[in-house]
Amino acid sequence: MKSSISDLIAAFNFKALLESLIAIVIGFLIGALVLLAFGYDPAVAYSALFGGALGSTNSIASTLAYSTPIMLTALTFAISARTGIFNIGAEGSFYFGAIAAVIFTNIWANMWFGLAMGILLGALWSLPAAFLKVYRGVHEVISTIMLNWIAWFFVFWLVVGPYANPNDPNKTIRIPESARLPLIGNTNLSIAFIIAIIMAVLSYYLLWHTVFGFGMRASGLNPRAARYGGVDPNKAIIWSFIIGGVMSGLGGAMKIMGEPPTYAISQGMANVYGFGFDGIGVALVGRNHPLGIIFAAIFFGMLRAGTALMQIEAQVPLEIIKVIQGIIVITIAVPGLYDLVKNVFKKG
Amino acid sequence: MKEVPIIEMKGIVKVYPDGTKALKGVDFSVKQGEIHGLLGENGAGKTTLMKILSGMLHPTEGKIYVRGKEVRFKSPADALANGIGMVHQHFTLVEVFDALHNIILGMEGHGLLSKINVDKAREKLKKLMEDLNFRVPLDVPVEDLPVGVQQRIEILKMLFRDVDVLILDEPTAVLTPIEVEELFAVLRKLKAEGKTIIFISHKLNEVMELTDRVTVLRKGEVVGTVKTSEATPQLLARMMVGRDVVLRIQKPPKEPGEPILRIENLWVKGDRGEDAVKDLAFEVRAGEIFGIAGVEGNGQTELIEAITGLRRPEKGRIILNDRDITGRPPKELYDAGMAHIPEDRTRMGLILDMTVTENAILGLQWRKEFQRWVGTVDWGKAKRHTEMLINEFEIVAPGVDAPVKSLSGGNQQKLIVAREVSKKPVLIIASQPTRGVDVASTEYIRNYLVKLRNEGKAVLLVSADLDEILQLSDRMGIMYEGEFMGIVKPEEVTTEEIGMMMGGIKYEELNK
Repeated sequence: MKSSISDLIAAFNFKALLESLIAIVIGFLIGALVLLAFGYDPAVAYSALFGGALGSTNSIASTLAYSTPIMLTALTFAISARTGIFNIGAEGSFYFGAIAAVIFTNIWANMWFGLAMGILLGALWSLPAAFLKVYRGVHEVISTIMLNWIAWFFVFWLVVGPYANPNDPNKTIRIPESARLPLIGNTNLSIAFIIAIIMAVLSYYLLWHTVFGFGMRASGLNPRAARYGGVDPNKAIIWSFIIGGVMSGLGGAMKIMGEPPTYAISQGMANVYGFGFDGIGVALVGRNHPLGIIFAAIFFGMLRAGTALMQIEAQVPLEIIKVIQGIIVITIAVPGLYDLVKNVFKKG
Repeated sequence: MKEVPIIEMKGIVKVYPDGTKALKGVDFSVKQGEIHGLLGENGAGKTTLMKILSGMLHPTEGKIYVRGKEVRFKSPADALANGIGMVHQHFTLVEVFDALHNIILGMEGHGLLSKINVDKAREKLKKLMEDLNFRVPLDVPVEDLPVGVQQRIEILKMLFRDVDVLILDEPTAVLTPIEVEELFAVLRKLKAEGKTIIFISHKLNEVMELTDRVTVLRKGEVVGTVKTSEATPQLLARMMVGRDVVLRIQKPPKEPGEPILRIENLWVKGDRGEDAVKDLAFEVRAGEIFGIAGVEGNGQTELIEAITGLRRPEKGRIILNDRDITGRPPKELYDAGMAHIPEDRTRMGLILDMTVTENAILGLQWRKEFQRWVGTVDWGKAKRHTEMLINEFEIVAPGVDAPVKSLSGGNQQKLIVAREVSKKPVLIIASQPTRGVDVASTEYIRNYLVKLRNEGKAVLLVSADLDEILQLSDRMGIMYEGEFMGIVKPEEVTTEEIGMMMGGIKYEELNK
C-alpha cells in the first residue's frame, strides 16, 4: 500500500499543479476587479464565498455535493482527452443516467440496480459518437454536440410526459426510498461523493497502471506510434467513449438518487442541466489528470456552494461566480503561462 | 559574344534551422530555351535548390541572377513576377475547387473591389490548352480528378501566369508510362515555343530521353554539368552515386541458414491507390543481412509497412518461420519474433511526450516480464529493464523518467534499437536505421546489426544511404518503382551498375 501512495504522489505533476494554482489566483484577482467595477467589496464578497463553502459542516457537505457530478463528467472529458478525443458528450450521457435512475428504480427499488442502469444507458449513449468517429470519420465535437441535443429533447419529453409526477407537476416521479443513496452522517451529502472519488482513483489506475490505459494514452499522443506499438487506436477510442459514458451516466444517476430532498428530475431539467459542460472546465483545471480532477471538482464545488452566502451577505449575483470560473478556465488554457510567471519572478 | 544564361545561381549555401547543410556552395546555370535536368539521389539538394530559385526558400548565402540581373526573391510571387514558376512534387491545389478556379486562384488582385474576369480567363486557358494539345476538364472539382490530371492543372497554372522558366519536381513519380509520354510531348512543345524547363529527376532514362543538359548534384554539391548528347547512363550513374566507400565495419564471412522471412508475389498499394509494390518476391535467411537499396519513394515504405502489419497487402504472402503472417496485426508479429526499427523515428518509433521508460516498453507492454498481475504494468520492472538497456547500449539519457524528447536524435535511435533487440526477435527489420543520427551512434548501430547477423538473426535493412547498404548487406535488392531491378551481392557489382539499377535499368539488361 505504501508504494501505491508514493506512486500517487509521483504521478502528480508538480508543475501542472502550480500552473493550476496560478490560474486560480489570477481568476480571483480579475474577479476582484470585476467586483470592484460593479461596486461590490471584493473582501466582503470573497469572505462570504469561503464562509459559505467551508464555514460549517453543512457548507462543507454542500461543497462536496456540488463537486460530485462535475467530478464524474470531468473524468469523461479527461479519459477521452488522454486518448486524443475531444469528447463533449458528457452532458447527454448525464441526462440518460438521470432518467435511467428514475425509470428503473421505479421498476425495482434497488440502489445498485439504479446505478447499474444509469451506467448502462450513459455508456450506450456514448456509442453513436464513438462508432461515427472510428468508422465514418465524423468529428466527435460535431457528433457529441448534436447527440447532446437529441438526448436533451428526448429526456425532456420523458420528464414532462411519461414520467411526470401526477401529484407534483414540477417534477418527475421520485426515486423510491429504498433505492436512494445513503447520506453521510447528519448532512445532505450522499455516498455519491465517495463513489466519485473511487471512480477518479480507478480512472487514474486504468490510465497509468494498466496495459490498456497505456495503449489509450499512446493512441492519444501519437496514433501512428501506438499502432506500431501493437495498440489498436480505434479500439482505444471506442473504449474511451464507453468509459466516459459510464462516468457521466453514473454521475447523472447519482445526482438524482443522492440529492435530498427532491430525489427527482425537476421540470425543465434544471437540476441535471450543465454538469457535462462544467465538467470540461473542471477537467482543464485538473489538467486532465484524474487525481487533479478530484481537487479541481472540489474547488468548483466550493465556488458553487459559496455563492449562496455571497449572494445574501454581499448581494453579489450568481453570474459573477460564473465569470470567475470562466476566467480561471481561460487562464489555464493560455499555454506556457507558468513559464511566463516564472520568468517574471526571476527578473524581479 | 557569350550568351547570358537566363538563370544563374552562384555559391548557393542553404543551412536549415536544425543545422543541416543542404547545399554547400552550388553554382548552377540554365540557358534560355533548354530542358535542363537536375539529377541526384535523395538528400542531394535538388529540391532545396529549386525551392530557392522559385522563392519558397531563402538561401543562407549566394546570389541569383535572372537574365544577368541580380534578384532577391522574398516569396514565390516575386519569382513568378520574374517568370519563374515551380510545380511541386506535392500538389498545391484546393481540392474542392475546379481546375479553372484553382488556376486563377491568387490572381484576383489585392484591392477590396478588384475582380477577376472569369470568362476571359476561361478563354485564355482554352486557347492555351488548344495550342499545347494538353487538356483538362475545367469545371470538375479537383478531388474527383486523377493524379495525372491534377498535375496538368499545376502545370497549366504556371503557364497561365506566363512563366518563362518552368521547374518540375519529380513530375513523373505519380504518372503512368502513357501519361509520362504525353507530358514529355508537351514539355518538348513548350521548349519549341522558347520556354526554359528545369526537370528534377532521379530517373536516368527520362533524363537521357528528355533533357539537353544535365547537372548532377550529390550531397549538396554540384558534381558536374554535361550535355546529354555526350553523356551515357553509366556516366550519369557514376556521377550520381560514385563515392569512396569507407569500410569501417568488420563483417566476417558467414554461411546463411534457413530462410526466416519469405515474401511471395507481394502486391501493395500506396496511399494514392497506386501499385507501390509490384509482384515482389525474395527471402531473408538466418544469419544474413538483406539490404534494399533504391531512391526513396520506390515502394520501400509500403513494402516494410506490409511486412510489419501496418498496411494490408493486396495480393501475395508474407511468411515468417513457415507461418503465414500476411495481414496480421503488429502485436501478433512481435510475438512471432519480429522486431521493427521504423523509418520515422519521431512519428512512429517513439512517443515523444512519453518518458524513456514508457517508450522502452512500447510494443512490449503486454509481456509477462512487465506485469504485476494480468493487464497491469509493473513500472518498477519496466524501469529496471530500461536502466539495463541504457547501460548496455550506452544511451545518454537524463533518467528513465525523463521525456524521451529530451534525448538527442542518436540516443533516441539507440533506444529504439535497444527496445527492438530486447524483443528477442528472429527477424529484425531496420528501416533507415541511421538517418539523422550522429557518426558515433551510426557506427554503433551498424555494428550492432552485424552482430545480430553473426548471432544468426535475419536482418532486413532498408536504407537510402547506399554506403550503408553496401557495407552491411550480404545480398541486396535494388528497388525501382515497386520492383527489384536485381538481387545481387554488393561485391559483385560496381557503384555504376547500382546507380543504373536505381535509375530503372534491370540487372540483366546492364551488360548488353
